[in-house]
Amino acid sequence: MVVLVEREGLAIAPISFELLGIAKQIATDLGVVLCAVAIGHEVADISDQVSSFVDEVYSIDHPQLKSFNSETYIHVLEQLYQKVNPGVILMGCTLDNLDLAPRLAYRMGVQVITDCVQLAVEPETGYLLCTKPVYGAKVSSVFKLVKKPYMITLRPKAVQAVDLGSAKGKVIQFDPIIDESLVKVRTVEKIKEETVSLNRAEAIVAGGRGVRDAEGIEQLKELVKALKKYFGKVELGASRPLVDAHLVPSSRQIGLTGEKVAPELYIAVGISGSLQHLTGILGAKKIIAINTDTKANIFKVADYGVIGSFEEVVPALKRRLEKLE
Amino acid sequence: MKPLQLIVCAKQVPDPEGPADALRVDTESKKVIPIGIPPVINPFDENALEAALRIKNQIGAKVTVLSLGEKLSQPVLRKALAAGADELVLLMDQHFKELDSFSTAYVLSRMIKKIETYDLVLTGRQAGDWDFGVTGMLIAEMLKIPVINLAKKVEIKDGSVFVEKLCDGGYEVVRADMPALVTVSGESGELRYISIRSLQASTKIPVRIFSAADLGLDHERLTQRTICNLFAFQGERQCKFAEGESAQDKAENLVTLMKEDGIMRKIEKKGD
Repeated sequence: MVVLVEREGLAIAPISFELLGIAKQIATDLGVVLCAVAIGHEVADISDQVSSFVDEVYSIDHPQLKSFNSETYIHVLEQLYQKVNPGVILMGCTLDNLDLAPRLAYRMGVQVITDCVQLAVEPETGYLLCTKPVYGAKVSSVFKLVKKPYMITLRPKAVQAVDLGSAKGKVIQFDPIIDESLVKVRTVEKIKEETVSLNRAEAIVAGGRGVRDAEGIEQLKELVKALKKYFGKVELGASRPLVDAHLVPSSRQIGLTGEKVAPELYIAVGISGSLQHLTGILGAKKIIAINTDTKANIFKVADYGVIGSFEEVVPALKRRLEKLE
Repeated sequence: MKPLQLIVCAKQVPDPEGPADALRVDTESKKVIPIGIPPVINPFDENALEAALRIKNQIGAKVTVLSLGEKLSQPVLRKALAAGADELVLLMDQHFKELDSFSTAYVLSRMIKKIETYDLVLTGRQAGDWDFGVTGMLIAEMLKIPVINLAKKVEIKDGSVFVEKLCDGGYEVVRADMPALVTVSGESGELRYISIRSLQASTKIPVRIFSAADLGLDHERLTQRTICNLFAFQGERQCKFAEGESAQDKAENLVTLMKEDGIMRKIEKKGD
């Protein structure tokens, strides 16, 4: 079993600790060797850190692998996997891997299941069961992977992250052949935008159709501010109608057509709870819904509800939180 | 010069904007049955169609829309023609029932090969039902053409396709030679408004229909999605309502509930 370690520059990305945690369980249950792959440039530190947790780390270090390029990465990983011949390949469901996973799977002739939220080994058969939410929030599907090998991408924040410990394991250098001529898609320029990492927020205040206008958004921002006293990272989010109305940038959209989030606290304001929105908030630990419509679907998935107009409830809640001792 | 040939792959799905109780899960047959919600074109595929139509409006192009399924609704898919597509091709066959992603991509790539001259294939980044997000990539692999995933803007200049592609922390402008495939994200923009008149006019455009036999498909390569279990999501929670006469009372009661639940415990810890 091989886990692709996700990184952010020269650091290990949070999703990697989740991947490694679940991978260790699976590898133990399957009774197989657990390997990690660190790919990039100057990834020695990452390889060292990860080696404390797994049986082997394949470190692929090359200046031309510094930033992600799907064609190069696919070609290099294909070379490694041909050598290692893994039964299970696990990686994060990240933007880059949305590109990499299906193409690598096709070239290796393996099955691919994307965006899984749970993995387990069926005790009787030893087959791997992957749970994947489908049809918005409404349905969970379980795929039983019978024919090895297979590739799985795991949704961020779906499983517990682990601590890597401090033991020192085996790092194996892998020297890939890099073929520049394979690169068909060229980067012209990179543009940094306001980065909203909704999927890392501890609390999110999200508005929907019921919030209506810019004034409503301002009220939500006030609540965001009030919550910052208590949570490390609080963000403003939105369901699709507010994004379509250009009241909130699309980088803050939550749902099937946006970010999937898993905060400690999710406050849904004026959100009715369409399928495509609910799929984005499945991982939220606690959900509070504020809505005028007693029959709104959002209440079915909420832990706590307030029926009332947000114009009154949100400022009242904000004031209450501000004076909380 | 021949006009640009654009191909858009559009899937018919139950409306993802529909209410959460509109889908029934039959655990026995492992099927999801939509009740009372009409099928629609997958919203991301509508984004792809809009991207194609914008290219058509700017520099001229022929836009062909492909849809694949066991049963497809012409009135639903004709929306693509009403929006401005030139041609609608339906790939309909009983063998196309519940195909897995590889088989879906196989059929679509065979159809695209049949069209021969094409410059750009556009698909949505994922579908609103099974949400795999792999079909576009697989089609490109099968056609052996460059692929760009997650476009928020697509333009054609000097025979190349330029795409603003989503990536962590912003976006990247990338370029590829054509023919190429681009998957389109919601940021690219919604499908244009369609008037009743253009909807009526679209019924006069003939629709081409192909079967598995017409495409000379290898039946052994048509495999169904194999699910071992399917169940209604157990995500329903018991909602406790914060009651009260005024908004203040409700807020007060909500905070009390949150405290009791430990949400506030966390908060208090941070507040210390």
